Amino acid sequence: MNKYAVFLGCTAPTQVIQYELSSRWVCNQLGIELVDIDDFVCCGINLVNLSQEAGLLLAAMNLANAEARGLDILTICAACAGHLAEAVERLKNPETRDKVNNKLKTMELEYKGSTQVKHISRVLYEDVGIDEIKRKIKRDLSNLRVAPHYGCHYLKPESAFEGFDDPDNPKTLHQLISATGALPVQYETLNLCCGGKSFPITKELASSLVQKKLDNLKNKKIDGLVVQCQTCYLMYNDRQKAIGEQFKLPYDIPVLLYPQLLGLALAGDPKKDLGLDLNAIPLNNLLAKVGINGKI
Amino acid sequence: MRQHKSKGETIEVAELDTDFKSEVMKHEEAQGLNACFACGTCTAGCPVHEIFPEYSPRKLAKMVKLGMRKEVLRSSYIWYCVTCHNCEQRCPQNVKFFNILNVLKNMAAKEGYAPSPWVEQTQQIMQTGLIFPLDEALAKRRESFSLPALRSNGKKAKILIGLAGLDKIKAKRQR
Repeated sequence: MNKYAVFLGCTAPTQVIQYELSSRWVCNQLGIELVDIDDFVCCGINLVNLSQEAGLLLAAMNLANAEARGLDILTICAACAGHLAEAVERLKNPETRDKVNNKLKTMELEYKGSTQVKHISRVLYEDVGIDEIKRKIKRDLSNLRVAPHYGCHYLKPESAFEGFDDPDNPKTLHQLISATGALPVQYETLNLCCGGKSFPITKELASSLVQKKLDNLKNKKIDGLVVQCQTCYLMYNDRQKAIGEQFKLPYDIPVLLYPQLLGLALAGDPKKDLGLDLNAIPLNNLLAKVGINGKI
Repeated sequence: MRQHKSKGETIEVAELDTDFKSEVMKHEEAQGLNACFACGTCTAGCPVHEIFPEYSPRKLAKMVKLGMRKEVLRSSYIWYCVTCHNCEQRCPQNVKFFNILNVLKNMAAKEGYAPSPWVEQTQQIMQTGLIFPLDEALAKRRESFSLPALRSNGKKAKILIGLAGLDKIKAKRQR
């Protein structure tokens, strides 16, 4: 049994509940035990804009809280994975760790340096494995063509991820999609950032980046875009609607979170287990192709 | 607001702050700056640069080296980074521009140029421990999906944010 402290982050458990719901369901099906920890706070990634120290302190507090329970961390948010893994790397420096621990003392915490941080897709890829996922498939998704979107922080900074994937030519999400039976479609702007981290500062920039990818995807005859981060989801889902209304461009590209796709292949209930009814861009056509007809 | 000198505009040496580079490089995270030879690989791979050509990691690095303190710290472009890490991923000199940029943003924030969205998020984290509020409606919604309740850890987050000297941060005044 693989056991992890589940790190939900800020946005998934408050704004994109279907990501949390489907992640928990998929982990349960595949024997990954998730332990909820009440003491977790925001990973600190956005704090680095104003203070790198504040960003590191919040990350360290989370790492210490998982370590105290003898658990590694599984994140569902790619940005949390990136920021926490980068903190693990920084805190390998004994001087930095001492400085941070001096401040963590006020919360009666100490980080010794043993916590590992993995994104849920990495856990599925490494701990469960592609072959095992294939063996568990119960619903045929072979009619689906979907485009993968990795999310920057799932891959970078590269030094924080022990080389489990290649940021310039990533393959893990392609393989995870293939394992469900669906076809991962290759496209030119695969590695383009969703712009989510600049969205609070400039909506124009984020919208332009989203539009670039959607323009690339609209002629690829895909049934959906598969993401593995709720911020990427919000950018491609909500921005898609906003851009569509602003420029009269009906893209109509459904966006799914990877555990929702995998959950479909594991014969999960589209609504109860996977929250697919909460995805704003209707999935009726996609669901019909896998034999689920009518309103969910 | 004008951000950078336009093409052909002269840089007045008398206006440069010759200590700026060493001030930046005092921060551990910015120590790689000297290795930058301005090849521009960072800018070539920057998705922000493609949309807003005025934003350029190479240019910012050069401006720091020249001592263009005011122009760098007052620039609204330093806040445009999407945090994709392409600049450091592709740098042949292993310069961590992403971290250098964060040093610049932290310095700008201290001098009163913090954009209000980041200040508001910081204040929210000090309330709930997350960048979003936790209210009754959300609690009920989560319960209806049989998801565990979320606990507010604002107090603990506030202590750490305070220890980093960020609890009293003020946003840049809107004109």
